[in-house]
Amino acid sequence: MRLISTDKTLSHLEKRVLHYAEEMGRTLPEIRFFILDGIEFASLLEKHVYPTSPVNIWEGKRMVTKKFRIESGQESSLYYEVVQTGNPSYAYLNNTNSPMIQATVMAHVVGHCEFSELNVLQDSNPDRTEYVMYLVKKVNAGQHQMGEKHYLTYWNACESVIPLIAPHSQYNLEHSVEGDLPPQPEKIVPKVEEETSREFFRPFSHTMDSLLKYQDSENAWEIDRQKRDRREQISRTGYRLYRPCQDILGFLRTFSPTSAAEKAILDYMYVSHSKHDFVVRTQIMNEGWAMYWEKKIMLELFKEKAVNGIIDYAKIFSGVCAPRPFFMRNPYHLGYHLWNHIEELYRTGKVTLDYIEEKDVEAREKWDRKSDLDPLECMKHLVKTTTDYEFLRRFLTEELVFEFHLNRIFKKQAEMYGISKDAVVKEDNYFIWLDPKMVKDEMLSFFTHFNKPRIYIVDTEFIDGGLLLYHRNDGRALRKSWIEPTLKNINFIWKSAASLVSGNKLYTYSNRKFEEKEIAETSFEEVLERMDSNKKPFTL
Amino acid sequence: MQEDRISSNESEGAFNDFIEDTVEDAIEEIINEGDLDTLGDRGSEIIIEMDDIVPPTFSYGDEGEGGGKGGRKPGTEGGKLVFNLPFNRFMELLAEKLRLPNLKKEGKGKIKEVSYEFKTFGPTGVILDKKRTFKRALRSSIGMGKYDPARGKYTVDFMRRDRRYKIPVRVENPKYKAVVFYMGDISYSTHGQRLEMEKRLVNFIKNWLDYNYGVRNVEHRFFVHDVKAYEVQEQEFYRVGNIGGTRAFIAFDLIYQVAFNEYDINSTNFYAFYFGDGEVFGNDSKEIAGILRESIMPVFNRVGILEVLPSQWSKLVLDLSKDFVKNKIIRLSKIHRKSDTINAIKTLFQEV
Repeated sequence: MRLISTDKTLSHLEKRVLHYAEEMGRTLPEIRFFILDGIEFASLLEKHVYPTSPVNIWEGKRMVTKKFRIESGQESSLYYEVVQTGNPSYAYLNNTNSPMIQATVMAHVVGHCEFSELNVLQDSNPDRTEYVMYLVKKVNAGQHQMGEKHYLTYWNACESVIPLIAPHSQYNLEHSVEGDLPPQPEKIVPKVEEETSREFFRPFSHTMDSLLKYQDSENAWEIDRQKRDRREQISRTGYRLYRPCQDILGFLRTFSPTSAAEKAILDYMYVSHSKHDFVVRTQIMNEGWAMYWEKKIMLELFKEKAVNGIIDYAKIFSGVCAPRPFFMRNPYHLGYHLWNHIEELYRTGKVTLDYIEEKDVEAREKWDRKSDLDPLECMKHLVKTTTDYEFLRRFLTEELVFEFHLNRIFKKQAEMYGISKDAVVKEDNYFIWLDPKMVKDEMLSFFTHFNKPRIYIVDTEFIDGGLLLYHRNDGRALRKSWIEPTLKNINFIWKSAASLVSGNKLYTYSNRKFEEKEIAETSFEEVLERMDSNKKPFTL
Repeated sequence: MQEDRISSNESEGAFNDFIEDTVEDAIEEIINEGDLDTLGDRGSEIIIEMDDIVPPTFSYGDEGEGGGKGGRKPGTEGGKLVFNLPFNRFMELLAEKLRLPNLKKEGKGKIKEVSYEFKTFGPTGVILDKKRTFKRALRSSIGMGKYDPARGKYTVDFMRRDRRYKIPVRVENPKYKAVVFYMGDISYSTHGQRLEMEKRLVNFIKNWLDYNYGVRNVEHRFFVHDVKAYEVQEQEFYRVGNIGGTRAFIAFDLIYQVAFNEYDINSTNFYAFYFGDGEVFGNDSKEIAGILRESIMPVFNRVGILEVLPSQWSKLVLDLSKDFVKNKIIRLSKIHRKSDTINAIKTLFQEV
């Protein structure tokens, strides 16, 4: 690994890329570029794009497999771009790439870094990479305290909980638990233009309030009891779960009884993996934004002849932005074209009430009313206010589904998947086209479950002070043989019983015993309602 | 960032340690069950197949074959991890588990095995070491100011004095030679379980001696007998059969003659293993005890006499045990079932 400053050509390209980014008014953090060789790159990816990681067998296994695949020619060690955003951001270049590709990577990274700075989920935070490196040191120090065997056992148990991270869920830690929550990492809050708000004077009077407020004296004792219970639980445990919590690793990291060394492992796992939640919620916008600015910057570089090979670039670009059906979605393709489409919409004044209310088809088609708004500023505003779900819901029309070939599938593929003829709206000798509305609905539904089971903590004092997890039923059963080992691992971390409700079954792992019981099936809404009314979600 | 290089070496090491532990467990299992069928051809790598490991999580998906066993240990997804274990490493682990000592080798220093290793480097030679040459050339070029990136100079001159060649060094290792005689009684029926047991043992002995002496230095010879004794090919050792009278002494006499007449008894390590049902007649046992004590024991490193699935009339081991109690050379054992295999191996090769 070496600094980009050790390579004269790349250093020059970096300056030119950043120059154009600045000229185009991009909001960027400090970006530090490094040059890596192929194996270093593979290793970096296995460390979740951080330069160091604590010892663990999973990374070892992946690297051994990857090295074998690279050495036997089954896999290329070439990677397009790898960046860890934050302030500063760390971007890594592969030493085997040509200068033109390196410039492309740098320009692409510019897009990602800006997106991370501006987005509504506030992904960027100061010194993220440095913080992870600090956590790695803490874990390594803790490893000596724990002893190698316990360390590896605890690590392996934590691996089971990694998919249960949801920092941006509406049921995240912040919105489910009250009490002594740890301070959140500092966020870089984007500067949103202040809207002129009008001050209203509100009538205020204690006397009037108490006279007008309806008092149900029969429930007064109940309300009082609930308040006391709440205060009592917070003072006893330090927290109170008042809604289901989907951020299970976040919860365990904060509230499970741990030694300092165990806490360091949980912290490292949470911090190094929580970025995936941001990625999965914004991937289309993010990659599209990066491709959009990459192309703009690259065209400037070609113009000033800082790099050569525009034909090669065109080939690479079209390869990266190749269309795919919706179920194999290509975020580069979809995002890039959607951003271009949105720019065009703003440029021609189509994101206006007048356009929406226009009934005349011909007038709509010829619509081109210049607006005072700068399209780029409007796009920036979108980045600051939306995620992929809203982005697609608002801008992906049925016409665009056709235009981007999202609903086009090879006939043979359709036969293989057993797609019914009712879903097909068009076909030729090679392809079939699915109903675009269905495709859009399917794409949007991905953002409710992300193809993962939705599991929540719904009770922290279930059996012997144990955790109760709830699997929100979406018609698919959990892989049964993995329930026991996963609960066993959660039990090991929580150091008390761990139970899971899935459908009409209650699974419990406690005291080295696994039990399965039949219970009445309860919907998520019922669980919510019970928790809202301060009742236990499940009682035995 | 302080790191000079991003590497996963430590994690790879942890994974390899995990695999090593798993292999040891597999060997433990092999030993407990007496199942030595894993051993392939002479000196070939052992292919170990184990369930792939994955951390169990709450997930959708079909049930895999293995299905998440493990809890805090890694689970399995039904996939397989396949890797090769070098023959020597496998035997080393097996010996460690069975607490088998290295065999004493005789003939040290008499015959040398010569090989060449490239351990040193010099200015003349045939095989150019490109890496070392380039390093020296680069150093010289920097010293002479021809290579100076700060000033845009990138020339690296290769001069004769910078060349570095690999120089072969003659390495002499003492060469040990061993001959192993396998004797089989063909007057009893060797098929089914009995044949399997015999094959398993012969296979282990072959591999163990190959491991100790080196595959190329061991000669394995097979002899069978009923009332006559003669040499056969390995494949025939298990095939030939004859029901009738038997006399084991002649087999011991034959291998002694072969050892004495065909090999230099001062520089050769002799091993002999006898397999039979132990049913001997007349004074066969006495004659065997006599030849063992007088002729074979002074020359041979180890002699093993094994009764495979002995019957109530088997008495060879019983008779010989009176003469050879805790003997360093002569080892006696009986195999009644598959799980006795390991005990038999221990009896044959452990120190007394």
